[in-house]
Amino acid sequence: MYAHQGSILHVDLTEDKIWKEPLPEEWRKLYVGSRGINARLLWDYCKDPDITWDDPRNVIIYAPGAVTGTTAPASGRTSVTTVGCTTGLYLKSNMGGHWGAELKFAGYDHIVVHGEAERPSYIEINDDHVDIHEDTDLWGKDVLETDTYLKKKHGYDSKGLYIGPAGEKLVRGASIMGSCYHAAGRGGGAAVMGVKNLKAISVKGTKPIRVKDPKRFAEVAKEMRELLIEDSGAQGLHEHGTAGSMAGVNELHALPGKNWQTGHTENVYPITGQAVTEQGYLKRRVACFGCTIGCHRYSEIDEGPHAGIASGGPEYETLGALGNGPGLVDTEAVLILNEICNRLGLDTITAGTVVQWAIESYERGVLTKEDTDGLELGWGKLEETKEAIIKMAERDGSLGNLMGDGLKIATEQVGQESYKWAIMNSKGLEQSNVETRSAKAYALAFAVNPRGNDHLMTETFAEFGASPEAVEVIEKITGDKKYATPHSTEKRAEIVRWHEDCYEITEALGFCVFTSTAAFGVNPDNMARLYEAATGIEMDEETLMRTGRRVVTLEKAFNVTRGATRKHDDLPYRLMHEGAASGPLKGETNNPEELAKMLDRYYTLHEWDLKTSWPYRSTYEKLQLDDVADYLERFGRLPEE
Amino acid sequence: MSNVLLVDMEKCTGCKQCALACSLTKEDLFDPLRSRIKILKREKTAMSVQLLCEQCSGHPCTDACPEDALTRDEGTGIITVDADLCTGCGACAKVCPYHAIRLHPETEVPLICDLCGGDPYCVQHCVPEALMWVDETDERVKEKKKLRAARMAQYKSIIEES
Repeated sequence: MYAHQGSILHVDLTEDKIWKEPLPEEWRKLYVGSRGINARLLWDYCKDPDITWDDPRNVIIYAPGAVTGTTAPASGRTSVTTVGCTTGLYLKSNMGGHWGAELKFAGYDHIVVHGEAERPSYIEINDDHVDIHEDTDLWGKDVLETDTYLKKKHGYDSKGLYIGPAGEKLVRGASIMGSCYHAAGRGGGAAVMGVKNLKAISVKGTKPIRVKDPKRFAEVAKEMRELLIEDSGAQGLHEHGTAGSMAGVNELHALPGKNWQTGHTENVYPITGQAVTEQGYLKRRVACFGCTIGCHRYSEIDEGPHAGIASGGPEYETLGALGNGPGLVDTEAVLILNEICNRLGLDTITAGTVVQWAIESYERGVLTKEDTDGLELGWGKLEETKEAIIKMAERDGSLGNLMGDGLKIATEQVGQESYKWAIMNSKGLEQSNVETRSAKAYALAFAVNPRGNDHLMTETFAEFGASPEAVEVIEKITGDKKYATPHSTEKRAEIVRWHEDCYEITEALGFCVFTSTAAFGVNPDNMARLYEAATGIEMDEETLMRTGRRVVTLEKAFNVTRGATRKHDDLPYRLMHEGAASGPLKGETNNPEELAKMLDRYYTLHEWDLKTSWPYRSTYEKLQLDDVADYLERFGRLPEE
Repeated sequence: MSNVLLVDMEKCTGCKQCALACSLTKEDLFDPLRSRIKILKREKTAMSVQLLCEQCSGHPCTDACPEDALTRDEGTGIITVDADLCTGCGACAKVCPYHAIRLHPETEVPLICDLCGGDPYCVQHCVPEALMWVDETDERVKEKKKLRAARMAQYKSIIEES
């Protein structure tokens, strides 16, 4: 088979069984790869709503993209799909690094892990040789220790995917870590691995990847590479990483601070990407497999009491969530907290959002000293924040258990209207560091995101019109450049829907979404040409975008089985009801009326029912998802047309 | 004027585009194990070391070959392998001072960089410019040796660690 390796690996941890199935040709046409085929697999195995995240029947699926392992620039990413533990709904989390390409070289497009091991175990893959190893010594090791241990056993050049102590303890913000510092961070996929007693997947492969038309493939890959070299966004990402935009975001008064109570921070420099670079903390610019941008970082503290602290990152989200958020406008403070999260396997976004909620709750007297195990939480207090995060990762004491469960459960447990300052929406995932009150397409995208409210299922960065390429994208979607402004609510549904499809196909091919929706070198047209050259499957822009729509609809259907309705498509209470603190949009909210209007338009465009938000039978049928409609009909989950 | 290939480890982001490009142009497929440029990674510190034929003046590989399958162009220093004579014994790989030679996983013929005959395909793919194809001057040759020494020191430390 061309581009794909043609094989799905199944591992059943309960039955201690391993088998392979061929990748269906039809799926390559309908779902393309990675996120798309994962969504189909998850539907097939877990559509029954009785299958909760911790049910042994829940599967966790890992997949590199359709063109991962080739010279297509930045196409080395991996999608992880499962029933998420934070929301109980559909979860897809995507990671960079080199693990996915290695899996492809071992000969597999997807791994589906079923069941639960009786004791701590890990999976070893070496081409056709696949083993489940029971290994209790591995349990309790942090991510770096696990990496060292498994590389000793299976070779220096093996690649690993791990959970840390947070995943073992079923912390809902636990992240799956790839060797060494990449993360499928969001939604608690690591807790799904934890409940399965699955500590790691070690991979080594020696099988080449072939494409149908190498010459044409190389030409399209070159076109993409050259567009990315010219793109100012991609250049910025290489120079100062994702955090290079921090000062600019702050200027817009859109940098969330103190649990979204502020949007602007004086002297923000210490938590910018520029500060990490210029103060000498940056040791290396790092790329994921096949990436010509290289936005990832490796940073270290050389001197002083914290000398020797080193890790991957820190990223924009980490400097936001663990720096500006808890009031730690201090480079070293973030480097310290980042290193702890990477080692313990904790999502820095969730860790930051939960700790900010805890600080505010303590400040308000809603959490007492008894609840915090004696910790005097407050803004700008590194030691207390650090201790709270370690407690969270290890579920240590009352505070650790409360934080370990995430905001959705914690706010129910604490009560006292503490949901009003919990930055999550009805689905329950802690929000990433985007000020949705002043960016309306982001607001809509966050609200409808099937995994909870963050930017990583649809990135509508183009609405800022920050570069000529971004403006061009908005003009292409809406027909007019004037809509390239984040403050307008007009045409936001059109912008979101286009980005949903584009983002999906970007991931399905294995590309980093920065290449198509933050920088603009990869687009639906050149992706379609590349896919055709790679596989020999006839493809054009419209057909490829339609596969994106199909997958987005299938993901939606999965949540419909779990009872998600229109009321789950909302935004955090604070952002809907409290105005932005300062700046050009001081007082602006994501008020329910404004959101309702955008939602109406969005569901109409999708041909989904306005009342329930559910897709109609005819909508499924147009996308060749007839079997999905049949299943939902049995549950009474098809709206009347 | 001829050119020289500079390989700067400090600029490398470890993406492996070079190795993929090499396997594509030489073998019509993608496989870092079939590339003439090897990337050795220390993942913990995100460090990458590039290993490839340096066209060195000592060239012990040609002397080590019991079948005289390796010949060297005196002008360019490029090593050519006669696959018909090669038995895949690996003697050349063992003696290479720069750990640059690997055997083809199927044919066992040594994979040795030939600079694509004067237009290295990998260089076009190296966006961070860790690979640079530049005019040969005394200064550049000196620089090449300096960069190589740094890579070899790093290689040694990675191998010792593993």
